Amino acid sequence: MNTIKLAIIALRNLKRNSRRTVITVLVSSAGFAALAIVGGYMDFTFSGLQEMTICRGFSSSGGTGHLQVFRKEASQKEEHYPLEYGIADYDELQRKLMSVGDVDATLPRIEFTGMISNGEKSTSFLGVGVNPAKELMLTKYWDTIYSGSKKNTSQELMFRKLAMASSNGVLLGAGMAKALGADVGSSLMLMGTTVDGAVNVVDVTVAGIMNNTMKTIDKYYLVTGTATAQNLMQTDKVSKILLVLNETKKTNHVLSAVSSKINAPGTTVKYAVTPWYDLAEYYHSVKDAYRIIFGFTGIIVILIVFLSAANTMLMSTMERVREIGTLKAVGISNKWISLMFLYEGFFIGVMSIAGGILFKEIFTIIINTGNFEMPPPPGMTSTYFLRIYPAIHFLPWISLLLLFSTTCSGFLTMFKIRKLSIVNSLTHV
Amino acid sequence: MVDVSRYYGTGEGRITALSHVDFDVKAGDFTVIAGLSGSGKSTLLHLLGCIDKQDDGRIIIDGTDTTMMSLEELAPIRLEKIGFVFQSFNLVPVLTAYENVELPLLFKGLDKHTIKARVGDILDELGLNERKKHYPREMSGGQQQRVAIARALVTKPSLILADEPTANLDSQTGTSIIDLLIDLNIKKGVSLVLSSHDSVVVDRISNIVYISDGSIKKASRKNPP
Ligand SMILES: Nc1ncnc2c1ncn2[C@@H]1O[C@H](COP(=O)(O)OP(=O)(O)OP(=O)(O)O)[C@@H](O)[C@H]1O
Ligand SMILES: [Mg+2]
Repeated sequence: MNTIKLAIIALRNLKRNSRRTVITVLVSSAGFAALAIVGGYMDFTFSGLQEMTICRGFSSSGGTGHLQVFRKEASQKEEHYPLEYGIADYDELQRKLMSVGDVDATLPRIEFTGMISNGEKSTSFLGVGVNPAKELMLTKYWDTIYSGSKKNTSQELMFRKLAMASSNGVLLGAGMAKALGADVGSSLMLMGTTVDGAVNVVDVTVAGIMNNTMKTIDKYYLVTGTATAQNLMQTDKVSKILLVLNETKKTNHVLSAVSSKINAPGTTVKYAVTPWYDLAEYYHSVKDAYRIIFGFTGIIVILIVFLSAANTMLMSTMERVREIGTLKAVGISNKWISLMFLYEGFFIGVMSIAGGILFKEIFTIIINTGNFEMPPPPGMTSTYFLRIYPAIHFLPWISLLLLFSTTCSGFLTMFKIRKLSIVNSLTHV
Repeated sequence: MVDVSRYYGTGEGRITALSHVDFDVKAGDFTVIAGLSGSGKSTLLHLLGCIDKQDDGRIIIDGTDTTMMSLEELAPIRLEKIGFVFQSFNLVPVLTAYENVELPLLFKGLDKHTIKARVGDILDELGLNERKKHYPREMSGGQQQRVAIARALVTKPSLILADEPTANLDSQTGTSIIDLLIDLNIKKGVSLVLSSHDSVVVDRISNIVYISDGSIKKASRKNPP
């Protein structure tokens, strides 16, 4: 009963000082909207980073596909010779994988190492053997997600070149090409160990030069067809199969379906299925860095909201010294009087959430329909359009934070109220 | 109230607002404290009403020694035992007449029906029924003061204190407020202590305590009017 009355007093006072209330609510709403929009931008960035991780490149920094299938032993034991725990019957395995729902493509890949030489100079490499036609499925997947933005055609072009290279074509990182003085069309030699432990040499022709932002990758990575890699190692196995799904969010669902399908009881060879996020070190490190930046922004915004609300609250107590004195004189204890101001802060918070959601929606629409072109992110050559995602999952947290900070500002008045002398405040004007 | 003193300031500039005052209010008394401006009337009422603390002496309210209690600790005593009527009414501006009167009861933990009945009765009695939905700014000074009296009465306190309740009112309205207080004292037996420097007011009341320079000079008891 009395708490309801205090809430009513709080509301009526907010109404009475409507201009001040509106200003405070506007500041807090802007804070809410700022956080929500940052959240939406964060979601957009992370989703871009996620898809980039899945689609772009051949290492832990990208190109992981949605899921990867290995032989179980590959992760548990050290191989005695190349591809000891590779997948031999991968055509059959790929057929099985394709029969799982939501799987759009299967990409065999071979990871191998060795030396590359131009006859005079040689350097070690980390190689990936791929099926160029199938790798294009990743590019296609990328394009379906980012149908709105400009296409990044460089990767696609590379695979086309690799596929078209008569035989034994390789794609070199720009750093490696420079080190070897190689250009498109140059003949080079790959040296590696076969499964029997012998040294083998394969002649290759440079089909294209990749521009990769990561210096290490640029210097040591090369890409070739599966056949070339198998030829070098004298094997008919591949290291792993990548799966491309029609939607990233189905990853976990497909993961269990795939696992039970290929590890059916009775099968002798056991496979491990690993989702992209367990393979993506770069993704996680970037995400962590972003989180810190966004978290810091959040703290500053909330602080501003808090200070603005605290200012309003203190002004409100100063103006109502006489009312507070009267309530004290009547015999209402300080904690009840403080509760009244706590309510005011709380109501400001509630109104700010409503206003904030409205602001956020308006700004989101403006940004998303405005098609603001952003400069290419690191590692990309194309521009993209700025998008703000709904980021609904952030809203409850932002709301709580906002309510907490405005309500706390009401709590601050407690100190002021406790100090007020009753007698002096009764005649205060 | 025994040997009570109240000082303002320290050192050279110390003002003695009350000095060694003994004062007693008996149930059903109607006392007026008379004195010049600055004589210490308000100070005495504030101490009696437990909204200020004495520097010396003891104050006992209904057998409870309040000397060692803080103003915050005294809040329940104010709520239960004391009703205050101020010179400048001091109603809560955002509450209606009804809500202002209801307010102290809400903090006494009474049930809804009791509260409603009590507030209704008091407003009826003071002729404020038509005004109960009005906010303080929509009422005249006399009406506001009657609402303040209703707020003081509604908790059924043992003592009502009124510090120059008529000073902000014209003489006719002031007289009607004094009539009302006298009436309440006679009909309900409420103890009242009122301060005033207005001789018209003072003359209406039988029990007069004169105060000057913080000391009680003379107490007189006239025949009731
Ligand atoms: N807050 C204060 N600080 C300093 N001195 C004060 C304070 N309040 C009152 N005094 C002093 O204490 C003395 C008594 O004041 P008090 O208000 O009790 O007088 P009063 O009889 O009520 O006067 P009035 O008729 O003008 O209301 C005065 O000298 C006054 O100046
Ligand atoms: Mg006075």
